[in-house]
Amino acid sequence: MPFELTDIHTTADIGIRASGQTLPELFRDTALGLISVIGEPGEFKEIRSIEIDLAADSLAELYYDWLSEIVFYKDAERFLPGRIQITDLDEEKPKIQAVLYGETINPLRHTLKVDVKAITHYCFRIEKEGLFWRGEVVLDI
Amino acid sequence: MKNSQFIKRSENIWEIPVDFKRGMKVPARILSSPRLIEGIDDRVIDQITNVACLPGIRKYAYCMPDGHVGYGFPIGGVAAFNRDEGVVSPGGIGFDINCGMRLLRTNLALDEVRPMAEELLNELFRTIPSGVGSKGYVKLNRAQFNNIMEKGVGWCRDEGYALPGDAEHIENQGMIAGADHKAVSEKAVARGIDQMGTLGSGNHYLEIEIAASENIYNRELARTFGIDRENQVLVAIHCGSRGFGHQIATDYLRVFEKFVRQLNLGIKDKELMAAPINSEEGRSYLKAMACAANAAFVNRQLIVHGVRDVFRRIFKKSEEELGIRTIYDVAHNIAKFEKYEIDGRVEELLVHRKGATRAFGPGRPEIPSDYRESGQPVIVGGSMESGSALLCGTEIADREYFGSTLHGAGRVMSRIQAKKSVRGDTVKQRMKDKGILVRTGHLPGLAEEAGHAYKDIDAVVEAVDALGISRKVARFYPLLNIKG
Repeated sequence: MPFELTDIHTTADIGIRASGQTLPELFRDTALGLISVIGEPGEFKEIRSIEIDLAADSLAELYYDWLSEIVFYKDAERFLPGRIQITDLDEEKPKIQAVLYGETINPLRHTLKVDVKAITHYCFRIEKEGLFWRGEVVLDI
Repeated sequence: MKNSQFIKRSENIWEIPVDFKRGMKVPARILSSPRLIEGIDDRVIDQITNVACLPGIRKYAYCMPDGHVGYGFPIGGVAAFNRDEGVVSPGGIGFDINCGMRLLRTNLALDEVRPMAEELLNELFRTIPSGVGSKGYVKLNRAQFNNIMEKGVGWCRDEGYALPGDAEHIENQGMIAGADHKAVSEKAVARGIDQMGTLGSGNHYLEIEIAASENIYNRELARTFGIDRENQVLVAIHCGSRGFGHQIATDYLRVFEKFVRQLNLGIKDKELMAAPINSEEGRSYLKAMACAANAAFVNRQLIVHGVRDVFRRIFKKSEEELGIRTIYDVAHNIAKFEKYEIDGRVEELLVHRKGATRAFGPGRPEIPSDYRESGQPVIVGGSMESGSALLCGTEIADREYFGSTLHGAGRVMSRIQAKKSVRGDTVKQRMKDKGILVRTGHLPGLAEEAGHAYKDIDAVVEAVDALGISRKVARFYPLLNIKG
């Protein structure tokens, strides 16, 4: 499973553990894990797209900013993606380009579970273990 | 950590000395009860002793009886930092800046509301936006939103969303001074501008509650606060600054991250990232935090406006007949400058309350004149199955605990565990059997907020009452609940 929801770090909130053979897989699947806390990713049709272009000083910061961007668009444009395409992800000079395909949140059509306020820095990690990239994130609910 | 490593200072105070962890500048104190302390999570001990390591901390790092694991600070954490030498830490305030509680009184009694209960619940659910992606009923332009950030509930008064007496019965009269919209990012504005007057999600709720005679512990104080009739109907609202405050916290944690790295402050947990209060970054965060706090006061006020509208329509009574008045509104995620005497000297301190409530005792000038002789009302939110409690601040809180007390019941079971333990529809039926009707946008989510996922509110309230940091006034049981 590319991601799982966990409560090992927190009582009040929800964590995501994700892994991928590549960094783009890890970034994509952690984001899908985040969206699955809020709703059902499969229910968000590809009605419109949002392009993401981010750079950071470290890979961990990039991972944090990437997930925070999903949370931002959830509120600012009431938008959640059902599909994520990462077009470029540079580990050395940390930057990411991606396209989020999805639609405006509609309570009549979408299963909406619980809101995510923010990505926390608590027990936050991203690292390569053997052949896999692994990430752990705790969401503030 | 074993409880034997605590030094028991009294029946309800456990102390962790400075030699427990390298870098601790002050001891940590856990306020609890013999029963609650047994269940305390080791991670709470780790977090509160990390707080005790922060520069400029004074006296003790406190954890309230409802304390549980947070980020950086535990939820239920209180710490005060010297204005000149200390730091401000967004982790000591939380992502949901000025998450808080509003309590309203009405002239209605249970008998009048029960026949209309279902209709009232449905109309409140329709009128007060809640859940993911909800938008407020007030369309705001940027200039109006800037006013909200800087004027708080004063903006509501000017625009007709508040009645006389509302602002006076809100902490800081619904406006934290020093807010500057220029300290706030465009992203924060974009997240928050459409969300004013919305409840949100998670543990946020709007509840119709009943004050039954047998649950009034102090009749005189209850009367002072407006609880003056048998089976009186009250309204409790729990929510915060919505995406606006969440983004401000997210933005400044990133700013502080770079700052901490440059200064090598030796922060033990990234969520405790902090900046000196007098640094440019610290000052800027405090201006932005005040904007979010003011927006949260406005958010709750706009919900109150919606509640009044619904009650007028459902009960076909005038504003005067309904008598819906603000008992009080408290912030429980905030940092504020306050003065306290330490070792014979009065110091100006930045008191961080993360999942903790201000609880000023009698006589403080910050308390509204009609309550000043009694002390500040403290509103404690419980689970949706237990209702809430009204307490009153004391001189002991002022003298010993930086004028602070608990904020809620505190979780004991994670959301994932709670969902495994019970189904949402079972919780709904269980509540119905107890006479509580609930509406939510997501039925399975009710399981996450089930009563057994929280500590016993009466146990935590007893603990602060026994400590003397708040006095019990009344307990209210729920009748109707809207979950975001």
